[in-house]
Amino acid sequence: MAQQAENKACAMTTAHAESMKRRVRLTCRVNGQFVVEDIDPTMLLLHFLRDRLKLFGTKEACGEGECGACTVIMNGRPVTSCLVLAVEAEGSEITTVEGLAKDGELSILQQEFIKFDALQCGFCTPGMLMSARALLDRNPDPTDDDIMEAMSGNLCRCTGYRQIFDAVKKAAKREREELKRS
Amino acid sequence: MLSQFDYIKPLVLDDALTFLAEHEQTYILAGGTDLIIMLNKNMIDAKYILDIKYIPDLDVFKFTEGEGLEIGANVTVNELAECDVVQTKYKALCEAASVLATEQLRNRATLVGNICNASPGADLPPSLLIYDATVKIASVKGERIVPLREFFTGVKKTQLNKDEIVVSVFLPDPGKKDDSIYLRQTRLRGHDLSTVGVACRLKGDGKVAIAINAVAITPLLLSDLSNQLNAKGLSEESILWASEEIKKHIKPITDVRASKEYRLHMAGILLKRCLAQLTGKEV
Repeated sequence: MAQQAENKACAMTTAHAESMKRRVRLTCRVNGQFVVEDIDPTMLLLHFLRDRLKLFGTKEACGEGECGACTVIMNGRPVTSCLVLAVEAEGSEITTVEGLAKDGELSILQQEFIKFDALQCGFCTPGMLMSARALLDRNPDPTDDDIMEAMSGNLCRCTGYRQIFDAVKKAAKREREELKRS
Repeated sequence: MLSQFDYIKPLVLDDALTFLAEHEQTYILAGGTDLIIMLNKNMIDAKYILDIKYIPDLDVFKFTEGEGLEIGANVTVNELAECDVVQTKYKALCEAASVLATEQLRNRATLVGNICNASPGADLPPSLLIYDATVKIASVKGERIVPLREFFTGVKKTQLNKDEIVVSVFLPDPGKKDDSIYLRQTRLRGHDLSTVGVACRLKGDGKVAIAINAVAITPLLLSDLSNQLNAKGLSEESILWASEEIKKHIKPITDVRASKEYRLHMAGILLKRCLAQLTGKEV
């Protein structure tokens, strides 16, 4: 009972509560790095990224797939990592917000978020960036509706959505120009 | 999460069925967008999580001309929305799949999961009901096929027994000259469950089929209403009649999303819009 109460308290925080179950092997790639870890089968992908890999960019807010703060890209598709068990990531390729910058330089998308003031407290930003990244990877020339639809699973409580929308639109344009040049 | 479960990943359907039959407190995991919420909120106590995503039999997603479309338990909502056949032959289903929840959830959620969760307000069932969908169910005892209209038995309740897995959903080929539409009312644009959702189909022979969600304990195929409307023939007058008559065929309640009265009213409005768009009539 004491353990249960402790677990319940833990469930309110963003940490994983150990189940004491036998560990299972997880093999995947995260931000281009090969990862092999023995994990608790009840661990969420979100907590695996944060607690185990110390990738704190991915945020937990609602824990029920409503807010999008925990969005990561899994095998090319954006998913809410609070609704994915870590073991389900077996063999998958995962990108978190930490995987966007290359060689110490922020990506075009990140640069445009800064230029447009598309963040205030910043809590929703990693999720916003990952939804936008997944959109632009699949559709480099999105319509306004495409952008709104792709971002509609991410909630922001302070900046408002206009700047975020503008940043994504501008980033798409810059990325297309960059592609033409190269 | 309080559940202390083991994660089981069978590679063959028979193994999954045997495991399910022999182990209590086993929950089936496909997309997980409903199951993991229940685990996170400690609404269920799971001993085993049976992940069916590695079973190739459940990946089936195949259209056969003259027969129909089989959608396996592992097919995600986005795979459905992006499929050419669904876009051209089953428009209402494509529309419902495109508005369900968010991009992130559609990438995980499955059509079969959506029906097994059996929410009265689920987006996909009306668009399946108008196509006379059937559900293929398997257990160690064998297979059975159930019409979707008999599958739902109550709020979050289905015919499915504890030892059974839904293998796939089958939609007969609607043939040519068939058209359909799904319209729903939500409280806001974007991510919301439907307050009322209506799916209508205009078949090649000029007959209509109507189904609706969020106005009863289960999604409903309104066969009686459709038959009465078909007997009258489709006209501006009969469409207006049906948009009033529909209120006698549904039993909505008042909840956080809308009042009973609003749902009754919107059911009529949405039906009118659906039929107007399908027939090109101005009502």
